[in-house]
Amino acid sequence: MVAPTVVIGLGNPMMTDEGIGVAIVERLQQSADLPDDVEVIDLGTGGLSVLHEIKGRSKVVFVDCAYMDATPATMRRFTPDEVRSAKLQTRLSLHEGDLLQTLELAKQLGDLPPEIVIFGIEPEQVTFNLGLSDVLKPRLDDYVAKICQELRCAKSF
Amino acid sequence: MSRTVDINVKHVTRVEGHGNIVVRATDGVIEKNEWQVPEAPRYFEAMVVNRHYEDIQTIVSRICGICSVTHSLAAIKAVEDALDVQISQQTDKLRILTHYGEQIESHSLHVGYLVAPDLLGQKSVVPLAASHPDVVKTVIAIHKVGNAMMEKLAGRKTHPVRLVPGGFAMLPKASDLRELKAMLEAAIPEAKKLGEVVHSLAGALPDFSRDTEYVALVDGESYPFYHGQIGSTDIDKPVPVHDFEQVANEYVVAQSTAKWARWNRDSYCVGALARFNVNGDYLLPLAQETAKMFGLERGCANPFMNNVAQVVEIVHVMERSLQIIDELLTAGIQYERPDVQAKAGNGVGAVEAPRGILFHRYEFDDKGICTRANICIPTNQNHANIQKDFEAFVPQFIDREQDEVRLMMEMLVRSYDPCISCSTHFLNVEFV
Repeated sequence: MVAPTVVIGLGNPMMTDEGIGVAIVERLQQSADLPDDVEVIDLGTGGLSVLHEIKGRSKVVFVDCAYMDATPATMRRFTPDEVRSAKLQTRLSLHEGDLLQTLELAKQLGDLPPEIVIFGIEPEQVTFNLGLSDVLKPRLDDYVAKICQELRCAKSF
Repeated sequence: MSRTVDINVKHVTRVEGHGNIVVRATDGVIEKNEWQVPEAPRYFEAMVVNRHYEDIQTIVSRICGICSVTHSLAAIKAVEDALDVQISQQTDKLRILTHYGEQIESHSLHVGYLVAPDLLGQKSVVPLAASHPDVVKTVIAIHKVGNAMMEKLAGRKTHPVRLVPGGFAMLPKASDLRELKAMLEAAIPEAKKLGEVVHSLAGALPDFSRDTEYVALVDGESYPFYHGQIGSTDIDKPVPVHDFEQVANEYVVAQSTAKWARWNRDSYCVGALARFNVNGDYLLPLAQETAKMFGLERGCANPFMNNVAQVVEIVHVMERSLQIIDELLTAGIQYERPDVQAKAGNGVGAVEAPRGILFHRYEFDDKGICTRANICIPTNQNHANIQKDFEAFVPQFIDREQDEVRLMMEMLVRSYDPCISCSTHFLNVEFV
């Protein structure tokens, strides 16, 4: 049996702030007192594996770097129906994944969990480098606290 | 009135690393016909320099979410080569099994998500899931097995954590292997079903051939993904992997900031079709049967048949996985600890990524700190070949409608299964 709730961190730590989702779930795994019914997964850039991880869950929380036209380091909580993708895709490669499209596919297949929440974090920089930018890095604990609030953790850390 | 074709397929992104198709023609006269690729992967090499050998496979596993096991294994092999580390037969088999999981995962996604929509006249896999849910469900079932293999053996579905120099940080249990065996046995009929679907649609694959040099790992006794030297359809004697820079002769062209590669001709091809053309005689029986069903024979020079070769390989690695699991279960999983000592050295690792041969080279100082890195990815080796295919292919249909020309060219690029932007997956959203 899978845990009813899953938190999935997405992103690439080799691309500075693109790795924010992974950094947040790593911190969450290490420091938070998570409820028993919650699983936390770092899915990195394994885009379509999302399909397998969300199947059979009642709630999915995604944490990902997101361009939202907001001030860098802003975290916003939204549901998939509140946004549309502004990503232009060539479909030339499997590597240009889009979470919203993957969720659309899950919907078509009848595998979409009833509750989907996305926490998007506006990046300050997305360049080829290990580690977060100085703008996002000090905010890490705030981000984890907000996810904990969503999950109703006993204590965040 | 003159008739013009003006195609410019560009991926608009904040981060470079995507391929563009650019074609211009007037009254059937082609003025521009280019595959353009901005450079990306070289940045990753700088990230491993000054890092300890123990960290490298973890860092490079993030280069790509689809080929993360392959990058880890290439790095580990290079480290073990540089530090003179011997590994056990058990480690060897477990790594091969993990690597097969990635081939299954990647090939099923490519055939199902990128190729099938073309063959079934859909714009993407999302409408395909509505029009042909059975096809998409079959693909997902196969993909899941590949994922499970990586999770059980390497500790995670993507970006493995248990693969380390010298062996495994944690070994799977016999029960894990039995579980995988049951999953694989159930997946072989699914793979056959996928083969039948692709076979029923294979008539929609363009009939185009161009005499090409194919390059793949070769060991003279099997269909290798993880072992061997560098073989080619143009030469009889394979080249040691240590000399890979003499194979992937990189050169610069004006239209692309990514370097191109050539060996015995102006370009060469790597990937499933290359492996089939070099090693097809060593496929296992079910895979042989699958190839026969498609009429796929060694010497095939139709790049679109790469998609078919991927289906054949899914069947082959499933068959071979079952054999390896039986061997491992018969011998029993033995506890062993990786034993690696730092020393100065230079090593190369070569493995077959789903999309073709991948090379990693590292140099270490006496403390085991990396001082130099060179990563040569399969897609960079294919760029020149895609261009040569464009030059031969496009004149055959340039008089057709622009949308049709564009689709044919996109299908050609897709058949190579390129890894042209494996670095980012961020969301880009507008609030509605």
